[in-house]
Amino acid sequence: MKSIKKSILLISVLAISLAFTSCGFGSDDGSVNDNTGNSSADNNTSDNKDNSIYYLNFKPEVAQIYEEIAKTYKQETGVTLNVVTAASGTYEQTLKSEIAKADAPAIFQINGPKGYASWKNYCADLSDTEIYQHLTDKELAIKNDDGVYGIPYVVEGYGIIYNEKIMDEYFELDTKQTDVDSVDEINNFETLSAVVEDMTANKDKLGIDGVFASTSLKSGDDWRWHTHLANIPLYYEFLENNIDLSSDSTNEIEFSKDEGFKNIFDLYINNSTVEPKILGTKQTADSMAEFALGQCAMVQNGNWAWEQINDVSGNTVNEDDIGFLPIFIGEEGEENQGIAVGTENFLAINSQVSEEKQKLASDFLYWLYSSEKGKDYVINELGFIAPFDTFSEDEKPTDPLAREVVEWIEEDDVTNIPWNFTIFPSQNFKDEFGTALLQYVQGKKEWTDVKETVVEKWKAESK
Amino acid sequence: MTDTKKRPLLFLFLILLSIVFVAPVIIVLMNSFKGQFYISSSPFDFPDEKTFAGLVNYTNGIKKIKFFSAFFYSLIITVFSVAGILFFTSMTAWYITRCKNFITTILYYMFVFSMIVPFQMVMFTMSKIANTLRLDNPLGIIAIYIGFGSGLSIFMFSGFIKSIPLEIEEAATIDGCNPIQMFFQIILPILKPTAVTVAILNTMWIWNDYLLPYLVIGNKYKTIPIAVQYLQGGYGSRDMGALMAMLVLSIIPIIIFYLSCQKHIIKGVVSGSVKG
Amino acid sequence: MQKTLKKYFAFFVLPTLTAFAVAFIIPFVMGVYLSFTEFTTVADAKWVGFSNYIKAFRDNDDFINALWFTVKFTVVSVLLINIISFLIALLLTRKIKGTNIFRTIFFMPNLIGGIVLGYIWQLIINGVLLKFGVDITFDAKYGFWGLVILMNWQMIGYMMIIYIAGIQNLPGDVLEAARIDGASGIQTLFKVTIPLLMPSITICTFLTLTNSFKMFDQNLALTGGAPGKETQMLALDIYNTFYGRIGYEGVGQAKAVIFFILVAVIAGIQLLFTRSKEVEQ
Repeated sequence: MKSIKKSILLISVLAISLAFTSCGFGSDDGSVNDNTGNSSADNNTSDNKDNSIYYLNFKPEVAQIYEEIAKTYKQETGVTLNVVTAASGTYEQTLKSEIAKADAPAIFQINGPKGYASWKNYCADLSDTEIYQHLTDKELAIKNDDGVYGIPYVVEGYGIIYNEKIMDEYFELDTKQTDVDSVDEINNFETLSAVVEDMTANKDKLGIDGVFASTSLKSGDDWRWHTHLANIPLYYEFLENNIDLSSDSTNEIEFSKDEGFKNIFDLYINNSTVEPKILGTKQTADSMAEFALGQCAMVQNGNWAWEQINDVSGNTVNEDDIGFLPIFIGEEGEENQGIAVGTENFLAINSQVSEEKQKLASDFLYWLYSSEKGKDYVINELGFIAPFDTFSEDEKPTDPLAREVVEWIEEDDVTNIPWNFTIFPSQNFKDEFGTALLQYVQGKKEWTDVKETVVEKWKAESK
Repeated sequence: MTDTKKRPLLFLFLILLSIVFVAPVIIVLMNSFKGQFYISSSPFDFPDEKTFAGLVNYTNGIKKIKFFSAFFYSLIITVFSVAGILFFTSMTAWYITRCKNFITTILYYMFVFSMIVPFQMVMFTMSKIANTLRLDNPLGIIAIYIGFGSGLSIFMFSGFIKSIPLEIEEAATIDGCNPIQMFFQIILPILKPTAVTVAILNTMWIWNDYLLPYLVIGNKYKTIPIAVQYLQGGYGSRDMGALMAMLVLSIIPIIIFYLSCQKHIIKGVVSGSVKG
Repeated sequence: MQKTLKKYFAFFVLPTLTAFAVAFIIPFVMGVYLSFTEFTTVADAKWVGFSNYIKAFRDNDDFINALWFTVKFTVVSVLLINIISFLIALLLTRKIKGTNIFRTIFFMPNLIGGIVLGYIWQLIINGVLLKFGVDITFDAKYGFWGLVILMNWQMIGYMMIIYIAGIQNLPGDVLEAARIDGASGIQTLFKVTIPLLMPSITICTFLTLTNSFKMFDQNLALTGGAPGKETQMLALDIYNTFYGRIGYEGVGQAKAVIFFILVAVIAGIQLLFTRSKEVEQ
């Protein structure tokens, strides 16, 4: 018995070792020299692997859709699309470890001028690609005198999403203390805060836990504040000081509109579904679930959140009851302020992969944004408002939040706020800002300290 | 013994302590049957009519992180790496213990030295080399594990081999055995108890390892720890329900493994540590 | 025999040595070299001397903070784990019914991986703290004690088993002699049992010390460093410096070298110290 066992073990071990010598150690010869090994290693394998594109996707919420796209694309063209999605908040880390590899991503994404500065050695010139020819507004692309390096693939908008059903219930209340009768009348911070505070006073009647969904401050989930919300006061600051955003004068900020940030931020946390102290546990998904389940009336987020709201089981929000309010911070003249519309999603093609792969990559992008099947995915599954002229007037996403964004874009008498946060110095700056906000809501930091952190970290990270 | 009277109390204390040790796993199990939004708010409540979600979390989680493929990768990598480690390092250990010269002495100390080097020291360069040599796949990583695991294994095998009397080998040489025959027919059977220890220590390490496979193959091939960690932010939002279910599924194989070869594991861990 | 063996070097040593070179020797040497350079991939490394080492301490306090946090964590964990597991081992060697079952249960957590452990305890600790309206990210001290509890839960069973083996191997006659001489239980414990158990104590402190000092997975899963980077231990700080910030690869590598030296020194001192105690008695 024992000897049988032993011999089986021995045989399997030998079989394994054989497998090693053929596949593991066999490839050792000569390529240990890593510094120069890169290109030759690429050529070696390009024969059998040529037909694949490696796409490092930024948006975790649509990761599964890209897998379907990959299947379709394989059927259509025979080209394999490998989509790898970085976990939220780890895109730069993943990109960094992946791009150094022999089989590096062919398509990746940069988040704006700052991203381009970090990755410029890897960004191929895209000015001759078909996809760039079809970009509606060429000014949106990341470019310099030499070429085009990043092409925006989606236009997005964010603001305060509200549930009209709950708002209307409030407007009907007999205990209502304000004289606001519809959401359209909310056009500045003063009105907004009056309505919100009165709603909080009546929250039992409205059947909600709070007006705003929880302000998620868990690290990695705090981007709605340190990035999106911060964009609004900084937009006004840059405007007031006439700052040229492409110049060095953005190396320092005053954060002069910090009171505006504080106004709206305090309103969020003091009229929320939860106590400020536990906001550090909250994630974006929690906020969206609260909104979907009708536990709150408002949440700050963008049109990409529709999927999340819609996916919550027990979702009570009706498609027609959902809309955007601008994020008012108490700035003068904000009556005409719109929502924040822009993009931080620029596609780049890796200049370090072989010419053929670059071509495959740009072919895929063109297919996705111009073919019938590709466009169908873009509009109906990804829900992107794509800035390309290959999309006709009626080829717009059908989800309610995207439709709202399109409406805001087409509105003539409002000024939508651009996404200036693409020039925020670094992820590290944002993380420090997020931490400071968390400590502020926990009562461990004064507001002046938060302001100081923002100003100092901005300067330090802009070096 | 003087404390016979305290026995029932002691016994009770140990039972309480056992409950403390098992409770965390039970709580996770309990929560894995609750709807995902009821978990973080009240983790200690039993599922009730409102919160009970059946197997939804399991089906969701399995689909999301492709649990079975993760399980498969974990299994393949662990089994083959451990087999490879046993096979190659036992040979090497015997050779460098028996054939003492300048080179083998240096080698021995290098293997021992590698045991104290933290992984962070080589995390980038190793994954870079693995990538250049095309070892960044579930088969290639086995070679990496053999290399990185060889320190401890050689150390343990050597310790044991030193205690084997030379006479056995001398007798075999006289009988006309060449070293290869001698190793496989005579030495390897003697090494069995140490091999069990080495196998267990390496299994525990490789099965649970996160950072090494994450950096080397993690974006394309996810082992169980990588898949669990990826649930955190890899799908836009963290699904607490799926997380709980996947925690349960990743613990089950461990418990089965543990209960089925408990004696060996405990013995192996003891003898492993005595030499470590 | 030595002579015949020599010819078989390629067969017996080369496979392991190749794997070892690929997985350890070359990466280690490259790692030391890269800590003196600025690089993003390996090919573009530029020699910068010690500036990465200076930056590791000067640029921000992350490294120093992580170092302190790790030291505090290690000291507390090593003490608690060893004391508790030693006491349990004493209890379990008293021939109580069901010893084996208890041993099985206490050891079980040790087999669960760090990532999974981290999420298990995150659920439980947050569940408790939520009753007080806070969570583990509220204050670094929650994260600290959370990590200590986790580490205890994981390591106690392991250490207990080593202590049990040690206690079971104690020479019965010595204990008997102590009892006959009229030594009290406490006296026997401190004067006889503990000195005789020094080898086990050496092993256990060594294992808990290095495991606590090098902890990564549990740290990543339980707190991820939150709040801010206050509960970030050395291994996690190095990882985040390396992969989290562009242009800081060299600094991350330099931190890793310092980390390695620290581990080596601690391991060395600890072994020397306890080994010398063993010899004394």
